Amino acid sequence: MAAVTADYYDGRSARAHSVSLSLSADMLVVQGEDVARRDPLHALHISEPMGAAPRLIKFADGAHCEVRDHDALAVLLDAGGHRDGWVVRLHGRWRWALAAVIIAVASVAAGYRWGLPAFSEWLAFRLPERTLAQMGKSTLAFMDEHMLSPSALPTARRQRLREAFEKLQVPDGKAVRYVIVFRNGGSVGANAFALPDGTILVTDQLVFLARHDEEILAVLAHELGHLDRRHSLRMLIQGSIVGVVVAWYLGDVSNVAAGLPAMLLQARYSREHEREADAYAVSMLKANGISPGRMADVLRRIEQAQESRECGAGGEQTGILDGYMASHPATSERIRMLGRD
Amino acid sequence: MLHSSGTAQAVAFKFSGRGGEYFRIWIVNLALTILTLGIYSAWAKVRRLQYFYRNTSLAGSSFDYHGAPVAILKGRIIAVVLLVFYNVAGGLDPFLGLGAFALLMLFVPWLIQRSLRFKLHNSSYRGLRLGFDGTVGGAYRVFLLWPLLAYVTLGLLMPLAHQRIKAYQHGSSRYGAERFRFFAAEGGFFSIYFKLLGLVILLGIGMAVLIGMVMGGMTALNVQGADEERQAVIFGMAMLVIFGIYLTAFMVLGPWFSARIQNLVWNGTALGAHGFFSNVRARDLFVIYLTNFIGIVLTLGLYKPFADIRLARYRLEHMALNLQGSLEEIVAGHLHDVNAAGEEAADLFDFDISF
Repeated sequence: MAAVTADYYDGRSARAHSVSLSLSADMLVVQGEDVARRDPLHALHISEPMGAAPRLIKFADGAHCEVRDHDALAVLLDAGGHRDGWVVRLHGRWRWALAAVIIAVASVAAGYRWGLPAFSEWLAFRLPERTLAQMGKSTLAFMDEHMLSPSALPTARRQRLREAFEKLQVPDGKAVRYVIVFRNGGSVGANAFALPDGTILVTDQLVFLARHDEEILAVLAHELGHLDRRHSLRMLIQGSIVGVVVAWYLGDVSNVAAGLPAMLLQARYSREHEREADAYAVSMLKANGISPGRMADVLRRIEQAQESRECGAGGEQTGILDGYMASHPATSERIRMLGRD
Repeated sequence: MLHSSGTAQAVAFKFSGRGGEYFRIWIVNLALTILTLGIYSAWAKVRRLQYFYRNTSLAGSSFDYHGAPVAILKGRIIAVVLLVFYNVAGGLDPFLGLGAFALLMLFVPWLIQRSLRFKLHNSSYRGLRLGFDGTVGGAYRVFLLWPLLAYVTLGLLMPLAHQRIKAYQHGSSRYGAERFRFFAAEGGFFSIYFKLLGLVILLGIGMAVLIGMVMGGMTALNVQGADEERQAVIFGMAMLVIFGIYLTAFMVLGPWFSARIQNLVWNGTALGAHGFFSNVRARDLFVIYLTNFIGIVLTLGLYKPFADIRLARYRLEHMALNLQGSLEEIVAGHLHDVNAAGEEAADLFDFDISF
């Protein structure tokens, strides 16, 4: 066996000693300028092979050898019975790298599709009431300050809607705590929101837009569906996790571009939630003898109102991004599912 | 190569890392980290740093990294707890979030000082550890007081704060018993920051002119009776152009700033009598950043390890140490100090928080 050339450092000075390494029984023999030592090979720490980087043989007293003679060292280590760890074998082969790519992609996809929704649902139903109340309160306060103004609806009108909704039966008999509040939507327009603490926020514009009170009840049922499934809370949890993961993964690339994919990834969850809330509303309406068509009617009206505001010209708008970007499923799809088209 | 000659000689850093090799380490790290729900990330970090350190050599010897994965895991758990605490507090109530932010800020300088100690103590070259002697008080001055002063003066003192941070980092470091010295003056930092400001203003003017032209074009088209759909397309294109400029600004100014700062800082750093030398060029960094960015986007991130290797190679191979005599000589005179400094630094509270 050819001797292995190496540089020896004693750990106390920066001086390099040229040495040669050889094996005598199970002892590693180091010999060279001012150095002569014998140590049992198995007691030494031998660094993993890392390409062209030198391998380091470390002694217990802080000394070490830097070896660049990779082929000769491999022969010596093999003869001495040294085996590299399992991770080193993973690093050595392209097929393991390919397996790692597949594992990484598959687990990220599975985590996004099933893991994250399941986790956020689990967490959403375990957060204390106080937390929910606090979150609802600060969200409403924020919206009041920046977007909304007090409702212009007569008190009697508001009371009538509240009472009508209260009379409705909940689909699976599972009571959901809620409070209905009315606000002038301003730039928000005709819309309704379900906040984490059980507040259902309805804009005056929605009430004006509806041609029949049952349409408003349909929207309220949809929002109650969101509350029942704690959607806003789950979105918040999922959003923070998706945000952290995307920022971590893309962080070094560009912080500018990191926001967009996070938004796209969130949109999918959002659409799923809308479908769930629609399904809840349909079963609630049916249970109370109201046609789910009311829901379709009000959806169509909301869409028309938004279009006439946004485009000025109105008309059918079929953007290619509708399916991927939108936070809600396309209205036409929702109306189809509600069985009125 | 390293025998005492008495005359100065510039010795360049060399980097032998290879993209394909590092890719395999990186992807196995990623997969194992996912499979262990993040726990392996500490071991992954050690392997990553070992790959970069051991493939970096100076005057025929390599660097090495000794960080213990468990210490890193400890640091990461603390960091995650802090992040969750901060996010939850912010989500619950804006005021609570503000309080948490203030609390976190109070904590950060101490954490930075700890992780600098950890990082340098766990780095070695020719069998001798590096070390960091910066005090906690010093960390609070440069990582809290100076940034606050920079903030209060609307960024006017930002260059000064930057200089103080670098002086703290480099001026408190050791190699064995030999101290690093930092002598890059404030003037250099002010000059870079003022030029950056100038470039930002130039870009801003350019952007304003372009937006003006697009707006003008839109109005002209409107006069010619173009329909609204067409107008919307033009507007969309205008937004794309503006986003493009914004991105270019980052892609151009980022590398420019980074190159200037690296050169300033390292040309102003010495190890004892041996001065460092750095000549990174902004346009080279720009090309590397741009092609790395394109590669990473096109491969959905798989190019990342290749990009890291390219950048490390460029940055390292444009640095050198001006040796006055030999490295073997400087450290040989301080045997006892070196030995003592080694063990005690690894106390219980040492951990690494940097991701």
